[in-house]
Amino acid sequence: MTASGQPISQYDTSMPRVVSGAVLLVVALLVMLSIDVSWVAETFGFQKRVDARVPTFFIRMVFLIAVLAGAFISFTSLSYYKRNRVMLAPWLFLSIGLAFFLIYVIIPIFQSISYSFTKWNGLYDVTGTWTGEWVGFYNYRLLLEDPNFYTSLANNLLWLILFMLAIPIGLGIALFLNQTVTGIRIYKSMFFFPFVISQVVVGLIFSWAYNPEFGLLSEIWGWFFCEQKLNIVGNLTTSCSIDPPSILGEAKYATYGIIAAGLWPQIAYCMILYLTGLNNVSPDQVEAGRLDGAKGWKMLRHVILPQLRPATFIAIVVTVIGALRSFDMIATMTQGGPFGSTNVLAYYMFDQAVGEGVGRYGYGSSIATVLFFIMLIYISYFLWRMYQDEKTEH
Amino acid sequence: MVFIDPDIGSTFSLFEESGFFNWEENLMYKSLIRATTAVSAAALLATSAWASDLVVTYDDLNPAPKKAFETVIEAFKKANPDINVTTNITDREAHKSAIRNALLNDAPDVITWYPGNRMGPFVDAGLFMDISDLWGSDPNLSDKFNAIKATMTRDGKQWGVPYSFYQWGVYYRKDIFDKLSLSEPKTWADMLGACDKMTAAGVTPFTIGTKYLWTAAGVFDYLNLRTNGYEVHNDLTAGKIKYTDPRIRATFAKWGELLERCAPIKNHATMSWQDAIAPFAKGDAAMYVMGNFSVAAYKDAGLKDEQIDFFQFPEITPGLARAEEAPADAFFIPAKAKNVENAKKFMAFIATPKIQGDWNKAIGQLPPNSAAEVNKDDKFIVEGMQTLSTASGLAQFYDRDAPAAMAKAGMEGFQKFMLDPSTLEEVLTNLDKVQAEVY
Repeated sequence: MTASGQPISQYDTSMPRVVSGAVLLVVALLVMLSIDVSWVAETFGFQKRVDARVPTFFIRMVFLIAVLAGAFISFTSLSYYKRNRVMLAPWLFLSIGLAFFLIYVIIPIFQSISYSFTKWNGLYDVTGTWTGEWVGFYNYRLLLEDPNFYTSLANNLLWLILFMLAIPIGLGIALFLNQTVTGIRIYKSMFFFPFVISQVVVGLIFSWAYNPEFGLLSEIWGWFFCEQKLNIVGNLTTSCSIDPPSILGEAKYATYGIIAAGLWPQIAYCMILYLTGLNNVSPDQVEAGRLDGAKGWKMLRHVILPQLRPATFIAIVVTVIGALRSFDMIATMTQGGPFGSTNVLAYYMFDQAVGEGVGRYGYGSSIATVLFFIMLIYISYFLWRMYQDEKTEH
Repeated sequence: MVFIDPDIGSTFSLFEESGFFNWEENLMYKSLIRATTAVSAAALLATSAWASDLVVTYDDLNPAPKKAFETVIEAFKKANPDINVTTNITDREAHKSAIRNALLNDAPDVITWYPGNRMGPFVDAGLFMDISDLWGSDPNLSDKFNAIKATMTRDGKQWGVPYSFYQWGVYYRKDIFDKLSLSEPKTWADMLGACDKMTAAGVTPFTIGTKYLWTAAGVFDYLNLRTNGYEVHNDLTAGKIKYTDPRIRATFAKWGELLERCAPIKNHATMSWQDAIAPFAKGDAAMYVMGNFSVAAYKDAGLKDEQIDFFQFPEITPGLARAEEAPADAFFIPAKAKNVENAKKFMAFIATPKIQGDWNKAIGQLPPNSAAEVNKDDKFIVEGMQTLSTASGLAQFYDRDAPAAMAKAGMEGFQKFMLDPSTLEEVLTNLDKVQAEVY
């Protein structure tokens, strides 16, 4: 009962809770803003301000949580919220995730696009002023004339096309492994193994295998074309009638070499997708097909593959994503070399902006923007397809 | 604002370094003692000046340089017992990106960085402190650093103090040279002749690993310094000369000759400079254009002192004043340093002949202070000192003299040219384009 004698509806605003929530919010916010590194250093007796930074961060986080809790209490005590609970509750839960997505993904995208219109070396001067200058579309004009940009773009395309090989090869291996033989699980896990290894390790293994001096490939090459000889100081050395190919050292082979290395784990990934898909192939339909006289290629083409459509769809998606994530392989195997011939857009952007102090943040951002729009086209198409599929299903 | 020293001032040590795991102990016992001492210390704090801190950031974690640096810090502490020195030693590659943040937020008082054009962006953004006054007043800096002063200068002011530098040149297998009865080539013709003999004997003249590009820049720099001299090197890296200039073309023409008659090892594009030591150590290759830091690596690869030797890159244009590559490592004071007086004391301290001599003996390099003693037992150091002290000019290195964006494109071009000399035109016109845009 309220003072006026009317019964409390469950949809009424409860003022005490709103006020206490608001007080908590304001107090915590003030405390959070007033805490700074020097205060923490002084209070907890840190000798260096640097050491106080991490504790400051956590203390601020605690108060940030209090701010959010205050806001939550106030908001959920409003009659407006109580009446629209079903509609508002999901957004309340989503809000934190959305806020982080906004701060760490959406805002940086726009920042990056805005940097692409500037010439900036990534530095702020001593007063904290930004040192860049606005240059309009200058960076994009440069891009159009930059042979390295076209090399990167072509390589991106090459990656996308050749990486698709992972799908049929993965399917082939999956069909081959989809049988009941003793120890098949061991074989399956061995085929799956490369996917478990980190990309960096795969890159290292392949760059060693390709090494023309001591690599596996040159070793095999040596059986056919090379012989051991004594050199001038009496050490054994190898001399070859035809030199072993230097795969990562020659511009015309290097990208293919890296793609081959990247395919290794990607095939394993596609294989595992198809293996799970094959588990769900209905035996009735296979039986029915068999009765109708289908076997071999016809069985695969008309009975099995249509049932694997969801697996194929996912395999294409992850392979496209894998092809665009070629960054780690390139970074470990060639660093974009020889002379920039294995760059892809992502690596070239990194190289120009932050690599080895080159510091062309504006130019790097313009590359990032181009990459972003290329991805956007693909992702929009992908989402549109998903949407269409869902529409037809319902 | 007064900072309370943690040893006497802390009443709550949850976040202290060791405090997290035994915080209970800290809280229960130490805090009591600390709280009481804090009161008495507060009186002291109010009167005494607590400016005596010094934070130094150094960027080499390799055992020998790290130990040498720590020895210097100990010596500085001994000389200045009232200064409380803190050091941060970081990884060299990580330092290259970390410094950007360090100079803006929580700057140390002294930090390592590279002179020449590499310090340019930080100087231009006002992040390094101008220490011309120190160069003017300090007895060592004003008098004994003339050879390297130009390198530390930008806009007519000095920005740092070098603690070490080293020579570049040709390291060669003396035993192979003896076997082929070759002597150290003095001229370009000598060099090409020696190469022919080596090739005939089945020895690859040069080893090099260009995977990380900069080694190719060493060769280019020397060819350019010997063909055109110091001024052209500086003008090129400063963007005043085009790459299609006839003088630069002449340099590339010499490089073409070198690639033809003094062919480097195959597969250099897949090798780092360390990988390229293997054929040198094995005796498949006889010469290596490198910096003096590589000597330790030759010895690690099993070569003995008498098997290796050093000669200055031979003369190409007769009568041209000889300039050398001599990259230096230096300390700088960030503009945001808090203890500037102590930082300057430290700078003056590391410029003294004693420290410069001892430090460089420990790391096997050369002291920039001309009055400092060098290690007479190391033939490479003796020869290096002789080479550099008689040089008419000291270049830093292509990738330190040229802005980073230009250097990156330039070195990629050098590698491309080395792999296929027929791409010369394409390389030079592309470099002109990059140059027009970078400067």
